[in-house]
Amino acid sequence: MTLIPAFVSYEFADRKELCLSLAARSGRRVMLVPPLFDEMNRMRKMLIDVMRSLETLEIASFLPDLPGTNESLLPLEKATLSDWQEALEACAQQHQISHIASFRGGALAAAEMQSADHWVFSPVKGATILRTMMRTKVASDREAGLNTSLAELAARAKAGPLELAGNIIGSDLFTQLNAADIPTMKNQRIVRLESDNKPGDVQIPGTALWLRAEPDDDFAMSAAIAQDIAIWIGQ
Amino acid sequence: MQNKVELTPEAAVRAVMRDILGLNEVQVAEFTAETELFGALPELDSMAVAGLLTELEDRLDIMIDDDEVDGELFETFGNLVAFAEMKVTG
Repeated sequence: MTLIPAFVSYEFADRKELCLSLAARSGRRVMLVPPLFDEMNRMRKMLIDVMRSLETLEIASFLPDLPGTNESLLPLEKATLSDWQEALEACAQQHQISHIASFRGGALAAAEMQSADHWVFSPVKGATILRTMMRTKVASDREAGLNTSLAELAARAKAGPLELAGNIIGSDLFTQLNAADIPTMKNQRIVRLESDNKPGDVQIPGTALWLRAEPDDDFAMSAAIAQDIAIWIGQ
Repeated sequence: MQNKVELTPEAAVRAVMRDILGLNEVQVAEFTAETELFGALPELDSMAVAGLLTELEDRLDIMIDDDEVDGELFETFGNLVAFAEMKVTG
């Protein structure tokens, strides 16, 4: 019988946040930390296919909501990067997870768990994510006849909440993300696409779904990711 | 760790277009300098253009200023490749 993903929860800051979970028979378990903002939406189906593939490899997986995202009761504009980091630590602890697989900007949220083992897919700096979102805002402002610059948006974001590509980002989150470089973890495996020329420990076939105009999936890529996670976790 | 491999500007633009549009190698290999982009490809909306610019900065290790970006840049594949080559050679 094939199991289906179900919601469990974890407690953080007196709230319950949801976490999609897919159990497996063995004791091996991994937390998948999603990309941030629009990239998360574009890659969610691909991540859930990774969970299904992991289940066939007898590895249980957990995909938590970051506070302020998805089904969270916290408004996004109140969320900070430190909240996300602490929330993931709480989730890992409550579900006894020591292996963390983070994707893109999710690596920034997983950065504080130094004692865990990290598998990191195509990590990206916080400033890069913000730059893309600010560019989208500049383009939509231009269509409305406004001439906004990236520097002007960055200054506004530091003064108060700013709407960027449909996300209301508080000034703390903006400042923290803007300063967040790609973390170097004690035990890490950096995974990149075959088309990516940056240094990594392993390359997998697939496409940059985070760039796609609409959410999409890639079964072969999800299977390759699950396979590499299984090798990394070991028996 | 595998070392960083140099990527030509044209190869980078082709790879990013492939990822944005969800094309395969063969389809994106058919792009020529005259291939029309913005306006001809519905997937290439303002959010996709924003992602494209940031991804090119990342892959080619360049910085693109606001005032360098205009409609003409995205008219054809050739314009975009020429721009990327200009940025890389400085």
